[in-house]
Amino acid sequence: MARKESEIKDTVQGRERIHVVMFFMSMIFLLLGAWILVRIVHIQTSYTVDERVIGLFRPRVQKYVEHPVRGRILATDGRPLAISAPLYDIHMDCTVRKQEYKDKGKAEKEESWQQKARELGAALSREFRDRSADDWARAILEGREKGSKYLLIRKNVDLTTLRRLQSFPLFCEGANHGGIIVERHPERIYPYDSLARRVIGYVKEQNRIGLENSFDAELHGREGYEWRRVTDDNSWIRDLDSAKVEVQDGNDIRTTLNVDFQDIADKALRAQINEDDDVRAGICIIMEAQTGAIRAMVNLSRGATPQTTLWERENLCLREVGEQGSVMKTVTLLSVVEDGHVKTLDQTLPTNNGFVPGGYKQDVHILDYQRETGRRDISVMHGFEISSNYVFTWLAENYYGRNPQELFDHIYSYRLGEAFDFDIPGLGTPVVNRPNTPGWSKTTLGTTAYGYGISVTPLHIATFYNGIANKGKMMKPYLVERIERDGKTVREFKPSALNSSICSPATADTVTRALRAVVNSGTATRLKTAKLPVAGKTGTARVVLSAAERGGSQDAYSDLSGRKKFQGTFVGFFPADKPKYTILVTVYSYLSHRNFYGGTKPALAVREIVDKIYALDQDWRPELYPVAEVPVMTEAK
Amino acid sequence: MTFKEIAHSVRNAFRALRNGEFLLRVRADKYYMHIMYLFLLMWMSIMLSLQVDKTLTQAGANKAAIEELRIHHTESEAALVKLRSASGTETRLQRMGSKAALPQKPATLIRKK
Repeated sequence: MARKESEIKDTVQGRERIHVVMFFMSMIFLLLGAWILVRIVHIQTSYTVDERVIGLFRPRVQKYVEHPVRGRILATDGRPLAISAPLYDIHMDCTVRKQEYKDKGKAEKEESWQQKARELGAALSREFRDRSADDWARAILEGREKGSKYLLIRKNVDLTTLRRLQSFPLFCEGANHGGIIVERHPERIYPYDSLARRVIGYVKEQNRIGLENSFDAELHGREGYEWRRVTDDNSWIRDLDSAKVEVQDGNDIRTTLNVDFQDIADKALRAQINEDDDVRAGICIIMEAQTGAIRAMVNLSRGATPQTTLWERENLCLREVGEQGSVMKTVTLLSVVEDGHVKTLDQTLPTNNGFVPGGYKQDVHILDYQRETGRRDISVMHGFEISSNYVFTWLAENYYGRNPQELFDHIYSYRLGEAFDFDIPGLGTPVVNRPNTPGWSKTTLGTTAYGYGISVTPLHIATFYNGIANKGKMMKPYLVERIERDGKTVREFKPSALNSSICSPATADTVTRALRAVVNSGTATRLKTAKLPVAGKTGTARVVLSAAERGGSQDAYSDLSGRKKFQGTFVGFFPADKPKYTILVTVYSYLSHRNFYGGTKPALAVREIVDKIYALDQDWRPELYPVAEVPVMTEAK
Repeated sequence: MTFKEIAHSVRNAFRALRNGEFLLRVRADKYYMHIMYLFLLMWMSIMLSLQVDKTLTQAGANKAAIEELRIHHTESEAALVKLRSASGTETRLQRMGSKAALPQKPATLIRKK
């Protein structure tokens, strides 16, 4: 019994001890809870939080703007003419960690850094090969000495080079230890360099020209942005609680340009004009007859002096509004044939010693013709072949003298009197001296008939001849055939007509015959032996000089020493029997005593272009058919 | 509920706290599973959030890698295209003393009969 009482006493004492412990623990938690409660009330009512403390707890967020990749400009076969890729400028902070090593007395670390700088110098010397290793090391160590924080290493390096540089001593340690500073900037790459650069254009900060300018809205794309926050391991990730605008890269532009044709035309033109210091510029347009698609457009010119190199400086094809000379005789011929004034090209007219009444100059070439042939009449065909000004003045005066407007109506229907819409803005507006306008005189009709008194651009001329090649259907020239996104067509530009019928097919055939005769026996015989039959017309025009160029001369076309500026043109199409391409080549001269005829340099350039296109184009490849069965091979016994 | 009853409840709660019996008195054991479930949900939420961060970090790294590949591809394409121009090829052939040149006529096509 006494034992039982003792056990009960022990149990009671044990419980009391537990209660005491539990009591103290409960009190501790109670006090803690009370303290938390008080703190909550305090924080909610009167506590002011230090912003620096908040900054430590709040995730850092920043707006990240994503720039779109500018769309590509492609040739008709998909080869890139303009693409975008970033380039990098590399600088170096030579003072990196210098102060730290100095303050903490880490001389051996400073020595190690300098040793790595020497190794970096050697690596840079091997990479760029323009300075010795010692030069580089000296530049870096002197920069460290003088406190240079932005030593230029190299500008505009590509990604591959950048990655190599980042593996070099010091640079491989990053910005904080190695001092490498990398600045990225978007860059437009033109793989073919100067080829078709006036058509493709360029982007230089806010300046844009060519297709880069006219299709900028398509090429540019749309910027995107998102908010990013930093994670526990210091990576920047998208903040999912905030808005995001997806970046949209620019669309691609698929042009009608054929790189091979452009290359051929560029090279052929250079071959003709590069060595001639009197030549200021040369242009070439190759247009597909059926569609009006521009396959090549070359604009080579020199600067103010002949010493400057040929380069695509200005788009003369579109902007050079000028009198085109004899290539305009085709306009007159087409009109008189279409109107039925000339029934056949063999129709003759009197030679009159080269005189057309009404104040026109005598055409001395007619005197040569009379002397050589003994004839006193000349056929329209022969007048066209030898490009007689007399013949075309006579035709214009005789058939349109009573109503000159008739001829000018034709000129406007050939779209030679106005600027039409084109993929690159800035097509020059022609200047036409119509009847009852200030520029009209009693000789304007006749001079217009052979190419003076009316000023148009080379593209106007090429488009007109393309209309003849296309049996009277004048197609609108165009440079862009599609807008694409990731290889899929977004928008397509189909060929369209400027004038669905400038003449009947029969008239076009008649004029083509005359153009063919010019090549076979007229002023463009240099093209007679071209590998494809060419039909076309030469034109040689004097250029009206500015007052400064004339230097007091009364003649609008020459200066006091008799120097003139010429433009020689050949324009035509090939193959003559089934035209596929229209071609125009014009050469412009500086002030010179020499003459530049359309039948010389331009015709030679055209010949080279035609021959090379013939070799490349699959349409004209000869075909072979087997004449016998090929015996089946049997196994040898 | 009167003030007396409230005071009684507070006193009881205080005594229970003192004796370490509060949670048992309020029958917290009855909600043990719920409490555990709440903890599990919170743990999962934190873990998922960390996983999302990790995935987004990986996605950012992948995006940077793709961008780098795109730049590399563009640079390579530009270098390749430069080599493809006909006149460039002709010049290189001439420089190397080769007699090969651009074709003078199109290739003959052999057709089946």
